[in-house]
Amino acid sequence: MGGDNAPGAIVDGAHQAVAELGVPVVLVGRPDDLDALRGDLEVIAASQVIEMDADPGSSVRTMKDSSLVRAAEAVRDGKASAMVSAGNTGATMASALLRMGRIKGVSRPAIATPIPVPGSTPTVLLDAGANAECQPGWLVQFAQMGAVFARERYGIDEPRVGLLSIGEESTKGSPLVKETHKLLAQPGVLDRAGGRFLGNVEGRDIMTADVDVVVTDGFTGNVALKTLEGGMKALVKAVLDGLATTDVADRAFQSLLPLYATLDPDQTGGAMLLGVDGVCIISHGSSSATAIVNAARVAREMVDADLVGHLRAAVSTA
Amino acid sequence: MPAETHVERSPMDRQQVFDLIRDRLSDILEVEPSTIHEGDSFTDDLDADSLALIELAEALEEELGERSVGFRIEDEDLEDIKTVRDAVDYVLARL
Repeated sequence: MGGDNAPGAIVDGAHQAVAELGVPVVLVGRPDDLDALRGDLEVIAASQVIEMDADPGSSVRTMKDSSLVRAAEAVRDGKASAMVSAGNTGATMASALLRMGRIKGVSRPAIATPIPVPGSTPTVLLDAGANAECQPGWLVQFAQMGAVFARERYGIDEPRVGLLSIGEESTKGSPLVKETHKLLAQPGVLDRAGGRFLGNVEGRDIMTADVDVVVTDGFTGNVALKTLEGGMKALVKAVLDGLATTDVADRAFQSLLPLYATLDPDQTGGAMLLGVDGVCIISHGSSSATAIVNAARVAREMVDADLVGHLRAAVSTA
Repeated sequence: MPAETHVERSPMDRQQVFDLIRDRLSDILEVEPSTIHEGDSFTDDLDADSLALIELAEALEEELGERSVGFRIEDEDLEDIKTVRDAVDYVLARL
């Protein structure tokens, strides 16, 4: 069991998920680490832990008794309906890919991260880091999978899909972006996914209600994600510091709490690995018990909604 | 009569190994098998990244492990397998 706060916060979250959501949770990890915490929860034994800085591919191949590999096998073998991990992101993806397999027709899985938008549903950003180098056809599939996810996760009838670029015009952007734009602009590409292509969007559009899904390669997506996270943290700190010395601080803090909750990554339910043949939720490394509860909630919702089945039906080979 | 512990199979020839690798690659890369040739470079011609090669290694180990007990592609060897031909040679040498 990996994660900065494992096993304590993770197991706490598992207990809360059982109590609050009625979701049966199976822990995967070293029994010696979990016995004092597990209570009534079932444990699938795994003797190894893939460290947060380990190389994803080789660690998954060499550490076959790791909690990540065993968790993915549990989904593959029907012992669990979904997996939730706060461990090494790359190794989570590699475990899911190698053990669950890909959905037929999907070239590469992508990490879909909900970006909070105050006053609206989150924007789904993908790929947020699974594939540093991409091909245009992969981005088309990311658009299709992102639209399906936005529909099933947030109930958006016709998700609006934007392609992240450096300008709205179709002539702007890298060769990858320009070629992808041509493919996405063709009629019917997003029909089976139920989405609508908006054209290019810019980084400033991600946290607005003007777009539901933003598609990009994993390198750019991860840079965008971390930039937004850092920017939000800096902004929140600056606002709190500024208010602290005023006589309206108490009232202002109360008014800002709902906004703070909206922006809190523990509330989003984690990122989703789209394209593997099972539900796999990637929580951030410093996940609290609350983050794990929300991840379990999203996992159950996506299993109940048959997200994988909808993805299978929506993705075409581009 | 002793219990049957394994099934005797005839050795695979070069064409059979190539066919197996081509078919697995075709599944992994979502391309037609006919577009994969023995002289192809994994990166330059097939756009296969490191994860795709690991998928291939896992698939071959699963498939060939039944035929040749303990068959394994070492991670350090993966770095030297640049082409489909390299992969065929590697597998043939270890069966």
